[in-house]
Amino acid sequence: MRSSASPPLKWEKLGKIFDPAQFRLPNGCEQFAQAPQALAFDRFTRIYFSSRERDPRNGKYLSHVCFVDFSEEFRRVIRVNDRSVIELGKLGCFDEHGIFPMSVLRHGDKIYGYTCGWSRRTSVSVETSVGIAASDDDGVTFQKVGDGPILTSSLHEPFLVGDGFVLLEGNQFHMWYIFGTDWRRPTNGASPERTYKIGHAVSRDGFAWQKEEGRQIISDRLGPEESQALPTVARIGDRYHMIFCYRESTDFRLNKQRGYRLGHAWSENLEEWVRDDAGLGLDVSVSGWDSDMQCYPNLFQRDGRTYLLYNGNEFGRHGFGIAILK
Amino acid sequence: MFRWEKLGRVFNPRETTDRSWLHEFAQGPCTLLFDDFVRVYFSCRPPPDQSGQYCSYTAFIDLKRDNLFETAKLASQPILPLGGLGEFDEFGIYPTSVIRSGNDVLAFYGGWTRCESVPFNVAIGAAKSSDGGETFRKLGRGPILSYSADEPFVLSGPKVRRFGDRWYLFYIAGRKWKLVDNRPEPVYRIRMAWSRDGIVWTKAGKDLIECRLEEDEAQASPDVFFCDGRYHMFFCYRRSANFRGRDNGYRIGYAVSEDLWHWRRDDSKAGIDVSEDGWDSEMLSYPHVFDLDGETYMFYLGNQVGREGFGLARLEGEL
Repeated sequence: MRSSASPPLKWEKLGKIFDPAQFRLPNGCEQFAQAPQALAFDRFTRIYFSSRERDPRNGKYLSHVCFVDFSEEFRRVIRVNDRSVIELGKLGCFDEHGIFPMSVLRHGDKIYGYTCGWSRRTSVSVETSVGIAASDDDGVTFQKVGDGPILTSSLHEPFLVGDGFVLLEGNQFHMWYIFGTDWRRPTNGASPERTYKIGHAVSRDGFAWQKEEGRQIISDRLGPEESQALPTVARIGDRYHMIFCYRESTDFRLNKQRGYRLGHAWSENLEEWVRDDAGLGLDVSVSGWDSDMQCYPNLFQRDGRTYLLYNGNEFGRHGFGIAILK
Repeated sequence: MFRWEKLGRVFNPRETTDRSWLHEFAQGPCTLLFDDFVRVYFSCRPPPDQSGQYCSYTAFIDLKRDNLFETAKLASQPILPLGGLGEFDEFGIYPTSVIRSGNDVLAFYGGWTRCESVPFNVAIGAAKSSDGGETFRKLGRGPILSYSADEPFVLSGPKVRRFGDRWYLFYIAGRKWKLVDNRPEPVYRIRMAWSRDGIVWTKAGKDLIECRLEEDEAQASPDVFFCDGRYHMFFCYRRSANFRGRDNGYRIGYAVSEDLWHWRRDDSKAGIDVSEDGWDSEMLSYPHVFDLDGETYMFYLGNQVGREGFGLARLEGEL
């Protein structure tokens, strides 16, 4: 397994391709197009993302799933959604205050959406869990399977289960997701900040999941306080590659040195992963939309090519971009 | 119909003045039998904080086996600390159900956290004692039974049992938060899960007890025991609105089953109701039935869901 590292992947950055401010989105969403997730159709690529409205009751954000359809070369927008893709949760439900992100998977004649639902707490800002929804109208709208989550906190994953990315390999469903390991106040009186790591679960049907229960599958580069988020996995050549984002757990919002970067690991069996950030071959730009931060990656393949969608500065406040594997 | 003779209040938490965490409430009584005494776990609260919010702790009181109205010992500390920042049981451990497992005692409990849009959420945690149930250690920082697609929130009130080689948890799961005069009130139903080892649980995924009062009836404290070839369940139920007084407050219900899966509800058999006056004149809730030295007893809560403690009743005749 521990064979030598591959030569780095080589990417061509195509730049930012979507700015939410240029479009009229439902639910009063104006800024943020976060965690782009691609779904290939014959004549276009649909990219789901999460945008935000201000909750009129208290000024806090509510994240809504949106989508944009691009023509083949990602140069032209065909349309954006004109109504809600999936409703936020009912009062007291895990996804009451936002769905961000939603990972999509085509299976049979359905499209499944694995949602990360957000609900607010009082002692800490938020709790998350993973839900499932299905679409039978080609991904225009999704209906939830239930009011509750399908993957949530458990004995050794005490909180903040989220960011599920699902891959069907053979007849085994795999989910890579994140679970929280720590809430702590950086300084006395400061708001609590969270630390989370990437975990793995498997399923036969995509609904009932077996977690590895607290096993961090990607080693830390920044130490125990590294937060790892939004894994995405694809087979490239004879190996599986995982791209994710990682950051320090404190002072990461404005401090460029501590903010999100893209990380990388590879595997030959989907169980053991070798972290190899240098093998990613993609870093922040010297200037421009992804010069301070890179986050929320999504690997996808169509027409024999491999693409990487990701967000840049300010967690995707001003949109997302794309790179193509050379 | 069963006939329960009320024997009176056993424990009033307001009479205890030397424990900062035990000010009022003695909720969710659950027994563990010893040679000379009966240990009763209950959940209690210190005074509310500046914003009126409560925390809840679980402790125990040992009652003399030959006279349950005589106290042998009152726990000097809660059996478990509250959870850490952001954990599911940060603000409460209530209620708790215990069972012997070899030389250990296992506890299952509702862990409480606070939310923004609704007042709280609850998930079920587990802990183990190796000193006969005096002190416990949590099995993990997270819950052992948590939310799922059709059990979206408020998993609470666990009662652990072992029948044959299977473990069972009877518990409640929230169905909706109903706005009553703009205040969210939880509606919950009785559910079940089973396990081979007490650790990995499979949910039955169905409501065990049909509603009687209204579609949004809330049901709690499913206390199940086996007797004469049948499973009996005492539980409590209330209306969805204005349930904090006598009219719509908790009452004790009853159901019977041959297989734990199909239950026939017949509250008319429960045989215990509110008193004309006194500590249990407005509501009865959280029944716990147990056999002791040839008699069958029920612990239960009175007014304000046990704010003033729990009492005891004795079954006349047989089930």
